[in-house]
Amino acid sequence: MSEYKKITLEIVEKLKNIVGDRNVIFDDIEKLEPYSHDEIAEKSYGSMPEVVIKPETSEQIAQIMKFANKENIPVTPRGAGSGLSGGAVPIFGGICLSVEKMNKILEIDKANMVAVVEPGVITNDLNDLLTEEDLFFAGYPMSVESCYVGGNVAENAGGGRAVKYGVTGRYIIGLEVITPEGDIINLGGKIVKNVVGYDLLNLMVGSEGTLGIFTKIIIKLLPLPKEKVALLVPFKDVETAINMVPTIITNGKIIPTAIEFMDQLSFQTCYKYLNEHFPHSDAGAMLLLEVDGNSMEQLEQEYETIGDLCLENGALEVYVADNHTTQERVWRVRRNIAEAFMVYSPVQSLEDIVVPVAEIPNVLPEIDKIAKKHDVLIPCYGHAGDGNLHATVVKKPEMSMNDWYRILDNILMEMYVVTTSFGGTISGEHGIGHKRKKQMKELMEPATFELMKRIKKSFDPNNIMNPGKILD
Amino acid sequence: MKIIVTIKQVPETGNVKMDPVTGTMKRDGVESIVNPLDLYAVEEAIRLKNEFGGEIIAITMGPPKADRALREVISMGCDSGILLSNKSFAGADTWSTSYVLAQAIKKLGEYDLILCGERATDGDTGQVGPGIATWLDITFTTYVSGVKEVKENSLVIERMVETGYEILEIENPSLLTVIKEINYPRLPSLRGKQKARKLDIPVWGPEEIDVENKNLGLKGSPTRVVRISKPKVSRNGELFVCKNDQDIENAVGKMFEFLESKEII
Repeated sequence: MSEYKKITLEIVEKLKNIVGDRNVIFDDIEKLEPYSHDEIAEKSYGSMPEVVIKPETSEQIAQIMKFANKENIPVTPRGAGSGLSGGAVPIFGGICLSVEKMNKILEIDKANMVAVVEPGVITNDLNDLLTEEDLFFAGYPMSVESCYVGGNVAENAGGGRAVKYGVTGRYIIGLEVITPEGDIINLGGKIVKNVVGYDLLNLMVGSEGTLGIFTKIIIKLLPLPKEKVALLVPFKDVETAINMVPTIITNGKIIPTAIEFMDQLSFQTCYKYLNEHFPHSDAGAMLLLEVDGNSMEQLEQEYETIGDLCLENGALEVYVADNHTTQERVWRVRRNIAEAFMVYSPVQSLEDIVVPVAEIPNVLPEIDKIAKKHDVLIPCYGHAGDGNLHATVVKKPEMSMNDWYRILDNILMEMYVVTTSFGGTISGEHGIGHKRKKQMKELMEPATFELMKRIKKSFDPNNIMNPGKILD
Repeated sequence: MKIIVTIKQVPETGNVKMDPVTGTMKRDGVESIVNPLDLYAVEEAIRLKNEFGGEIIAITMGPPKADRALREVISMGCDSGILLSNKSFAGADTWSTSYVLAQAIKKLGEYDLILCGERATDGDTGQVGPGIATWLDITFTTYVSGVKEVKENSLVIERMVETGYEILEIENPSLLTVIKEINYPRLPSLRGKQKARKLDIPVWGPEEIDVENKNLGLKGSPTRVVRISKPKVSRNGELFVCKNDQDIENAVGKMFEFLESKEII
């Protein structure tokens, strides 16, 4: 690993000249600390930046990258810090480049159904504004309250509605990017089709800040569906619930916006946390489904078809939430599972494995075996509709920290091997960061890994752009 | 057991926007829902019915679209619904509303229990439940947190008061207004939704029930909403920016003065 230059007072002065005094944090541990970690619970993944800068324009970022590239200083771009793989953590110190001040919605172009935004715009704020125009950005991560569009693009965030709408990348049609060498490049545009040369736009999406910094993001918008209905469906066991998932789409001929899965451990822990209670709290598993559209009559038909299918296939009951209050009540349970487990035991590893949808019933018993073998909890919940499961490894309170550190790597590797053996991958939406890079290297075809390394090298010859993420 | 549940349709205020100029709610496109506190009354009725048998009639007064609120509680488990809807009822205050509801309940014949929510989330008065009982001249109990025992001609209930709980035995028929602590309302089921969609919900106006016209609507209401004002938030903070030790000393001094002036220290 190359030796990076340490941040000196002289360097800080240079940075201040570029972004202004008020946009630099240096030598103030209290103010630097929030930039040292993301939402991974485990503190050992954190690392302090030497300096935090908050540029306000593309040109400033271009100047910074030119400077950092020349001086061999690592630069870690950062959005809201709500990631779960360490992507925004400055593991080599150096500069943490926060886009928090680049938070303007530049344009909502209704004629082209496009929004142009800066990377620091909060995704939820954008959608609030778009709602007034009856439009929406269909990328829908679960951390809607806080995350930035820039981070969504960098991680190619997915979430609860990917079954129907896909993930963030589907809606990103143009980017202005500052390369690690400080060039400003424009990829794509307000166009839907584009086959000119290699598809660098989609290479940038999900690159976790290792290939460039996005300064303008062009988003394809969709008309906002007027109505939605959620169904909460308890089943006697995991298998019956999961077997329903492909059936709904193939037999029901309906693509719901969401098919979320919660095992018993997940929803029971969450009920306790929220002081919530629904009948059938002893069910083995639950599905939370959502359909959307423009007419309630059509939705009634759709949810009846799905509901009847569920009841014919072993559902204990089908609950219907067709107004905001009841929908919020059922979605709250799904959204708060991670938080609920933090209360039970804050020591955990939040995972997001993906397998082909039809393999879910085969994978879950294997994960259960791993949990029993190592005496940990692995509640499973998540986006069953697209095969993406948050199999979260949770330390039992009685286990010692030493034992936990000793076994965690093995547990993760065993889980990843199982996932891969069923044709899946180790991360569907959280990304690799520095959390999973070791396992990624081990499980990826060597030739593919080598190509990725060369891509990184060609963009970032001095390895200063978010170094140590995805690959070393 | 024959149970009557009164409900109200209210605007969904969870993600409502306020007009910054007038200070009132922007009602455009705001969804109407069953008053969330009424759902606890509905749930308690369903639980009692499931245990002791009988029937549940839901009743509401409101515009024609309040029909949807009745269908929602029928899909949870109520057996039938009655909508009191007529132009002459419009603008009624709690006195006139409870009068009309009471007259409608009289038409339903004998009953054992009337269940109401604690209050509506829009009007926030909590007066309609006790009002109905007064018109009907039956016992009422507010803030009920549990039905402990169902006897032949009475109920043993638990009621939350400031200092704790009261246990009371009340003769039938009576009216209870229930609080959140009493239960967890269930969600409507698919079969319930299907049943509720097909069910015929009778609409009653002044012709169908025995009412005196002078007691109806805005004209029959002794109370008026004269003005709605936003309470002023009187909290004021003072911020001291300290750049050196002297500043800190001054700031601490001022804080002591403040705490002494409020007789906190």
